Formats: sequence, C-alpha cells, structure tokens
Amino acid sequence: MAGDGERGRPSKKLKISSKSPQIVEDDDIGHYADDFDEDSREEERDTKKRDFTKLELKPDHANRPLWACADGRIFLETFSSLYKQAYDFLIAIAEPVCRPESMHEYNLTPHSLYAAVSVGLETETIISVLNKLSKTKLPREMIDFIHASTANYGKVKLVLKKNRYFVESPFPEVLKTLLRDEGIARARITPENSQGGEAFTISRTAGEIEGGHEELLNGAEFAAAAEEKETHSFEIDPSQVENVKQRCLPNALNFPMLEEYDFRNDTVNPDLNMELKPQAQPRPYQEKSLSKMFGNGRARSGIIVLPCGAGKSLVGVSAACRIKKSCLCLATNAVSVDQWAFQFKLWSTIRDDQISRFTSDNKEKFRGMAGVVVTTYNMVAFGGKRSEDSEKIIEEIRNREWGLLLMDEVHVVPAHMFRKVISITKSHCKLGLTATLVREDERITDLNFLIGPKLYEANWLDLVKGGFIANVQCAEVWCPMTKEFFAEYLKKENSKKKQALYVMNPNKFRACEFLIRFHEQQRGDKIIVFSDNLFALTAYAMKLRKPMIYGATSHQERTRILHAFKNSPDVNTIFLSKVGDNSIDIPEANVIIQISSHAGSRRQEAQRLGRILRAKGRLQDRMAGGKEEYNAFFYSLVSTDTQEMYYSTKRQQFLIDQGYSFKIITSLPPPDSGADLSYHSLDEQLDLLSKLLSAGDDAVGLEQLEEDQDGMALQKHRRYAISMSTLSGASGMVYMEYTTGKHKQGGQVKSKPKDPSKRHHLFKKRFQS
Amino acid sequence: MPEVRIVAKNFMDMVAALPAMKLDKLYSSTFICEAVLRSLPPLAKKYVLQMLFVDSPVTAKSMEEWLLADGYSKHKVAIDRLLQLRIFLEVNDRKKETSYKMNTKFQSNMQKYLVFGGTLPREPMPLSVTVRLPTLEDLEVYALEQWECFLLQLINSAQAERSTSFSSSMMRVFQRGLLSARENGAPKLTENGFQFLLMDTNAQLWYIIREYISSSEDRGVDPTDLISFLLELSFHTLGEAYNLNTLTDVQKHAIKDLADLGLIKLQQGRKESWFIPTKLATNLSVSLSDSSSRKEGFVVVETNFRMYAYSSSKLHCEILRLFSRIEYQLPNLIVGAITKESLYNAFENGITAEQIISFLQQNVHPRVATKTPVIPENVTDQIRLWETDRNRVEIIPSHLYEDFPSKEIFEAVCDFAREIGGLLWEDSKKMRLIVRGEYHQHMRDFLRHQK
Repeated sequence: MAGDGERGRPSKKLKISSKSPQIVEDDDIGHYADDFDEDSREEERDTKKRDFTKLELKPDHANRPLWACADGRIFLETFSSLYKQAYDFLIAIAEPVCRPESMHEYNLTPHSLYAAVSVGLETETIISVLNKLSKTKLPREMIDFIHASTANYGKVKLVLKKNRYFVESPFPEVLKTLLRDEGIARARITPENSQGGEAFTISRTAGEIEGGHEELLNGAEFAAAAEEKETHSFEIDPSQVENVKQRCLPNALNFPMLEEYDFRNDTVNPDLNMELKPQAQPRPYQEKSLSKMFGNGRARSGIIVLPCGAGKSLVGVSAACRIKKSCLCLATNAVSVDQWAFQFKLWSTIRDDQISRFTSDNKEKFRGMAGVVVTTYNMVAFGGKRSEDSEKIIEEIRNREWGLLLMDEVHVVPAHMFRKVISITKSHCKLGLTATLVREDERITDLNFLIGPKLYEANWLDLVKGGFIANVQCAEVWCPMTKEFFAEYLKKENSKKKQALYVMNPNKFRACEFLIRFHEQQRGDKIIVFSDNLFALTAYAMKLRKPMIYGATSHQERTRILHAFKNSPDVNTIFLSKVGDNSIDIPEANVIIQISSHAGSRRQEAQRLGRILRAKGRLQDRMAGGKEEYNAFFYSLVSTDTQEMYYSTKRQQFLIDQGYSFKIITSLPPPDSGADLSYHSLDEQLDLLSKLLSAGDDAVGLEQLEEDQDGMALQKHRRYAISMSTLSGASGMVYMEYTTGKHKQGGQVKSKPKDPSKRHHLFKKRFQS
Repeated sequence: MPEVRIVAKNFMDMVAALPAMKLDKLYSSTFICEAVLRSLPPLAKKYVLQMLFVDSPVTAKSMEEWLLADGYSKHKVAIDRLLQLRIFLEVNDRKKETSYKMNTKFQSNMQKYLVFGGTLPREPMPLSVTVRLPTLEDLEVYALEQWECFLLQLINSAQAERSTSFSSSMMRVFQRGLLSARENGAPKLTENGFQFLLMDTNAQLWYIIREYISSSEDRGVDPTDLISFLLELSFHTLGEAYNLNTLTDVQKHAIKDLADLGLIKLQQGRKESWFIPTKLATNLSVSLSDSSSRKEGFVVVETNFRMYAYSSSKLHCEILRLFSRIEYQLPNLIVGAITKESLYNAFENGITAEQIISFLQQNVHPRVATKTPVIPENVTDQIRLWETDRNRVEIIPSHLYEDFPSKEIFEAVCDFAREIGGLLWEDSKKMRLIVRGEYHQHMRDFLRHQK
C-alpha cells in the first residue's frame, strides 16, 4: 500500500546484512492513507447555508475585528487595529481554517477549546474576550458551546513532582468525582497522617505568567486571572498512571488530564548540563511557542505547529535546554536522526558524549547519567526480536525516566505506534512537532490525548512577510495529454496503468525537462523532482541522467547523493520518491517540480513545499526582511482531463488555506521549443507509450504496488477493508517475513506482488543500464 | 422577441427619437424646453442662446464662420443634436443653401422663460399642512431601499420581502430582455440581465424608465405625457411636498409606479395627500455622464477563492449568488466561495468570465483597492480558464451513417462528404461516418443515387 519504494527497502537490506534480519525498525514512515475525503466536509457546508443576519451589530462594530457565528465559525479582519491581539487570542482558542491576506477564518472546536484551557485560559476569559472583539453580540449557541466544551477540560492536571504523581485540580468537587471511580480510587496513595479519603492536599501554584490577552481584559478581570490559585491534589501510584489517564479520557469520565512537569523541582532525575549557545537566537514566533509550553514555570505536553523550514528543531532543542533533563528525540527515519543529532550539537552546548544516535545502522551506547538519545519511532516501537545490542539499548530507554520526549513529524506517525512508544518510554513531558496538522480522520483526536493539545500554530504568511521562510511562487502547470496517451488512458483495460499514463504524458515530460533546464541554466537553482510513481521516477531520472533516491536506496547511497547535491556544482537536480517528503533536510533546494503525487493528500503537498521553505533564507541574513521577489518555486505538473486535475485541486487546499496561491501555467514548454527537448517526435512518444504499456506485463509487481496504493486513494470504501497493520506500516514486518521465505500473508487484503525483492532487482538493472 | 440592447442611454436620446408631432407637443411646456436645453452639449447651448431672439433663418455658412479651425467636429455634433431634437429646423432655399431656423414653439417658450422665469404647475405645500417631512438623508435611504427592493423583485421575486404594486404583466415587461423564462423552474438571468445588474443605479433607472415609457402605449397612456411629467418632476425641489390634487389622472396613476421605484415618496396627511421627490427623481434629467457618484466597493476576494462582501443588502447577496456559493450571511458581511460549480452555473446562464471579473473589480472594497491587482491574479486566471475549458467542446448537429452494403459505396460516400466539406469523422473499419447535419439532404440524395 503506502510505500512502493519503502516496501522494497527492507528486503534489499536483507541481502546486505542477512545476519540481522529483524532490523526493519527504521523503515520510513510515509502514509497518506488518511486524508482523502474532504468532500464530505465541503458538501455538508453547502447544504446548510448559514444565515446569521439576525445577529445584533454593536454600534461601534467598525472598530472590532471579528464576527462569530453560532456554528463556531469566526471571521477575523486582518486590517483591524486589534488584529495582532485578536490573532494571538484566536490561535489559542480556535482552529485556523484559512489564513489568506485580508480575512482569516477559524473554527471553534472542542479540541481547540481543550487546547485553550490547557494553556491556562478560563471559560469566562474566553467568552469575555471573544465578546469584546466581536462586532456582534455573541450568539447564545456559541457561549453555550464554549461552556459545554470547557466544562470538563483542563480541570484536572497530572503533575509529576519529585517523582511522585499527583492529580491536581483547583476544584475539589472534580477530584471527588474522579475518586468515585473505582480504578482511580484504588490507584490513590493515601498519606499516612490523613484520616479519611476526603481530604486533599492543598497547595498554591503560581498563576499564569504568560498573559498576552491582558490588554483586552480590564484590570479587575486580569487581576483575577493572575491571582494565585489554590489547588487540591491527591497522589496516585506511579504504576497506575496510565490506567488513571485512561479512566479520565472522554470515553470514560471525560476529565482529560493535562500533563505538566515541574522540572525545576525534580531532584530525582539528574540534570543534563546543556545550554543554548549564544548564537542560537529563537525568533519571535519560536519564543512564543516556547512561552506557551513553559507558561507557568512548568513544562506542558503538547504539539507545536510550525511550517517546514521555520526552525522546528531549534524549538525542540530550546525546550530540551530549558528542561535540562534526559531527552529522547524521535524522528521518522535514519537521515533525520542524523540531522537531529546535528541540530543538537549546532544549537546547544551539549558535549558529544552526551548525545547518542540509535538506528539500525548506528547503535551508539549512551554514557553518563543524563543525555540525549535520538532514534526513530520504529526502533522503539518495533515488536519483533532484536539483536543483542539493540535489545540492551531499548532496555535502557525503557528504564530511564525521560525529562522530555521530543517527537518530530507527529502527523505521519500512526496512532497505535504512538501508543506503543508512549507506553514504552516513561517521560515527564511530551512535545510533538509538526508542520501540517491536517488529518480530518479521527487520528487527530488521538494526538490530542496521547501527546497533548496544540500549543501553538504559526501563520505561514506572517512568517513569509517576516522573511523567516522563503517566499514561494506556486504554479500548477497544465500539460495536455497527447492524443495517443489519452486514448490509452481512456481504455478500460488500462485502468491499472492510468497513473503511469498521465505521469508519463510526453507533454509533461517536456515541461519538466524545460523547467529543469530553465532553472539550472538561467537561475542556477537547485531542483528536487518528486514522483510517487516509481516507474516514472526511474524513467525520468534515466532519460534526464539525474540521480534519484527512492525507498530501496541505501542509507549510504542517500547520504552520498544528498552530499553531492549540496556541494557539487554539477549535481543540481535530484529525483526523489516519497521518501523525500518528510524530514530530509535539503536547505539548498529552492525549486520543486512535482510530476506525480499521492492522490489528494494535502499533507504531502504541504510537506513537499516545506522542502524549499528554508531555501535561500540560510544564504542571506536569515533575519533580514522578506524580499519582495519570489526566491523559491513550486511547480506541480498535471495532465489535463485526467484524475490528476481533480486531485491537484484537493491537494492544494491546505496551502491555499494558508494564503498561498497557485498560478496556472498553460503553455509549457513554450510552443517554439522543439527537438531540443525529449519526446519531440511522434515516434519517440509512441515508443515511450509502447514501453509503458508493455511494462505492465513485465513489471507486474511494480504495477501491482502502485495499484494498491492508488486503489486506496481512489476508493474510499477500500480504506476500511485494509487491516490496521497495512495502514500503519506494520505490514512491513509481515512483508519482511514473507521475503525471508516464510510466506505468511496475514493481514494483507490485496494479493501481493509475486516476488518484490526480485522486482527491485529488475529495477536496479534498469537503473544501471 | 426583439433583442433589447442594454446600453445606458440618455433620456434625451429617447426624447429625440419621438416623432416630430409629439416632440412639438412636448415643447409646449417651458420645463421641458429647459430640460432639453440643459441636456445639450456646451456648444449647442451657446447656439441656442445666441439665436434665441433671431427670428429669421441663419445660413449654415455664416454659422461656420464663427468657428475656429479645429472646432468643426464639435460644431457638427452640436448641430446634429439640435436637429435631432428639432430645436433647429433645416431650411433649404432655392439656391440649395442650407440655413437653420429655431423651432418656434421652443423659441417662444424659452423667450418667455428668460423674461418671466419658470413656474411649476404646483407649489410646495406649506409646512403648516405637512407638519414634518423626512430629512434628506432619510429620503435618500428610502429611495435606495425602494429601488433595491424593486431590483430584488425583478431578478428573484421569491427573495423580495415586500412586493411592489407593479402588476405581474408590468414586471414581465421589465424583465423582458433581462431574464429568460425557463419552461420549468424560475426564470434565469441572461447575459444582458447580469450586465444590467453591473450598471450603476442611475443607468439602471434609465433602463427601467425607458421600458416603462415605451410600454405605456399598451396601457393606453401617451408616452409624451409620461415624458413631460417625468421631466417636470425633475424640476421639483428635492424633499419638498407637493399636493397630489394638482396632478392629472394619468399623472396620478403614474405616480404610484414612480413611488414603487423610489422616485418619490407618498405621504398622507389628515386631509391632503402629497408626494415628495427623491434624489432619483431630481437626477432624472441629468445626463448620465455626470453621474460620477460611484458607490463604494464592498467585495474582498482572497487567493483561496473565498469572497467576503461587506454588505447587508439582499440584492448584493443575490447578485453574488449568481456566480458564487454563499456560505454565511452575517449582519453586515456575506461570505462566499467562488467554485468551479458556481461558475459553471453562471456560465450556463450566459454570464461571461469577463463580466464577473469586472464586477468584482468595480466593486472591490477600499481596503484592498490599493493592491495590484485588486482581485488576486490566480483567481481571475482560474475564472477565465474555467470559462475557456467549457468552450473546448463544440457541438455540431450531425448525422451518423452506417450499415453500408459495400466498401466501395462507403468510400464513395466518404469522398462525397469530404468534397462538400461536411465530413466530421469516419471509421473505415466499421464503415461508419458522421456528417454535418446541414448536409443531410445532400447526403440522402447522393445515397439514393448510389443505389
């Protein structure tokens, strides 16, 4: 399913290091199976057009920046004088829907309100500030909704103090409710000197230090918010923590617990002596996201959303430096493990012996009492038998109490893997980092409760304006299908080759070649070409004689190609399969050409764009104000009149919502370009077509793989027919066993390719020839 | 149905188009003479004043002597206009020399007017009777509301909150050329109709008034009466009350319709009834070109195809609905999205991409008016692309011929069809061909011949 290339990779590895066949841990994660059906959302909206004309306008409405609708939708004028304050406030309480230039839209959701409450906003504060900012009287429904959503959220905190777990709340009656639950009552540790079960420990905690909304509240209200609060708490058995947390989830008692880590008072865990280097200057939005995390002097668990290239790693490293305890950093693949280790060394004063990497190729033991370990999700979550030394390291990870669990790219990791990781590792505080929190499926809920609420989300356009990320010109290039290709495309018997047909459309190839040539020669740019379709990837790369990386490319090979791309003036273009979507940091690239993609995945589009967001920001003075001119280019090549057009519109939705606009180019390559680009003559095109059509028969495996994935994308109902392991990537393990000859096909719905390992050999041959 | 071209035509063009007899009848009113004088181009005005007390014809030649070298074209325009309106009459003497003479009725009326001044057939009513009249602001609001309500009813009678007293036949007259009746379902706006909605209020008013006047004969009303009454009305003082008793029956009848359009406000006192002219009425005789009062724009279009309209007007909402999907309606904001589906709907009704784009550009909110371009490029591009996308398929009525008895006959038919230029498609394997419909008769004759 979700990884043609990735699928093949472990098998290849097997050949190389057959002594450790169990290592498939750091398989790349890249599943897009989750976000196809946005339609339902749109349609639903269409059916109930909303008429709120009866809302009462306030007399001074012109000075107020927003409208609030009864269904939770909020519209914000960005040109209002109160925009900045209103934006900060809304981003804390609501989910941004779209943020173009003049008008933003937000949605109030239970999740967003949960996040708001967890960063210390109270129900009444939310309502009164919202009311102040609103042009109309707040609709009754919205007030009720806020009350209902926040009634239970944020009332209970799980605090780890001096290595004892306390359930804490300012509301004793809530604690009583909890204790009425048998499981929780059992988990409670009653202090020896207390007589009954009713008395709680009472203490005082500092109120919210971070405010930001005080100017919107009048003095009295703010004073109340900042006042020290009395909190009640009881201790629970550390072994029962997971259990208690489970009981508190919305499907049970519905008092989801916020996790806070009082790291300053943690004397049990040894400190890790690391500071941010002086040259590591967090930018304003990085500061802001950190302040949300450390708002009350403790560390909160949660997710920070920053666009790719906006410096997520600095946020992660800064958080680790503040907590100053052992830190476990999880990345999606081996390359990004290396990059994280590098980032730690770059930004902080950590000594080399305090940081260790743990991947299938690189098992560094860690020394000392405290340190940073960087590894992949798969290494930790892996369920099979491990080699001796990796077993030891895992044991170490299991036993250690981590101050911070730093999780990169949380949006790509399936929920069940999170559960596993989180249950294996004991951490006081969890920080998730991501660029795109778009998952309309239920898994976003999982993230919310497994890691924590979204603490901060940056506005892409603001960062572009601030010059923090590249100003990207996005373009959709319409390539008409050639007659012959279109005829084949329409044939029923070619339904399985549709994707290959529209990707290999000669006009698209020529457009791609033209763009590569233009950017290489005229502008001296560094170009990444993305293709999900492996057949096309190989065909393009071979025809144009450019290096390529896909799932089966070894780690060494990848590193070598990336290094050449970064440093050699001769290697200016690389071809990547979807292994390049996430976390491979290629700051040199500033042009992306996308020739094939994974159906309607908005996330993939955003992730790919993210590959060039850092772009030239690094070369210039990073903090310099935004250049007016575009300095990065994102081309999406689509064959007109094919499925691609439909998907393309869907894919762009996320970026468009962030304020990006896609310019449509219809005349590429220019009509006067002739034979200097490939596939000029009809004969060449027909030759390509026949190769493509016959490839189906001689490379069934490949086609089959493609089909699997495509089928998933195209037919929603099939999503449910696929087992969880297939969806999650766990099928990789099944697959591995299969290739070692055990022929277990459990968990697979579709028939598997006959012999994929062989297939990739074929591939190799093609590539070399 | 005659094609109605939507051009913002001047009222005076309509006057000029009246037959000579009716025009002369019109000139018996001092006010119409004055209104006509006001509407003239500057040079023509000068000629009228210059010749007002000249009783004998002036030769064209001697008039041309007044001209500077570069003034001829203006002179020509002025003379043409004067002749059109029958203010000047052409006189040819025996030597075939052209000279101009002023319309005697017009001349004497204007002379009188200069000497004695003009008096309206009715005086404003004293305040003691009317007690309190609406302020000018109130009156303007009233007029625009009334007008909007009328428009709303015009384009979508279901949406209007209150209906005007126009009979449905009258309404149909107005809708003629703007809406196309569908056999099933509500009538749809045509391209002209959309153009109409894009015009400013004054131009729209002209269009409606024109329709109103030109259809008056069907109602048994002399159009001249209406024209003179409307022109007279434009000389009434804005915001003053005039007694209804001073009106003729025809006028009394017309005034109700005018109230529906927002030209006047009707009020009733204890004993008397009166009407108050609004700005719409007093602006009637002003030529269109001077109506520089552009309304402030209200639309913001974002790069993500979302559209925010700062408006509480139902009419605006209806107009936007023609090409976008309205999602939220707030007290002073309409939120919508321009989608492929919504645009296809608009194209289906004959609204063009250019019309939509120019509507958006003309009504852009001042906040974004300083940006270039005011409407994001990707949006305008996309709207145009979607339009051209629709035009890729050309529909040609045609006939399919198959089941040929032999290859020879098939070939012969194909050749024939190609020769007459009607062959669209052929499939020699299955022996089928498609030929343009208009050649069907030829084809039949040819086929019969083959057998």
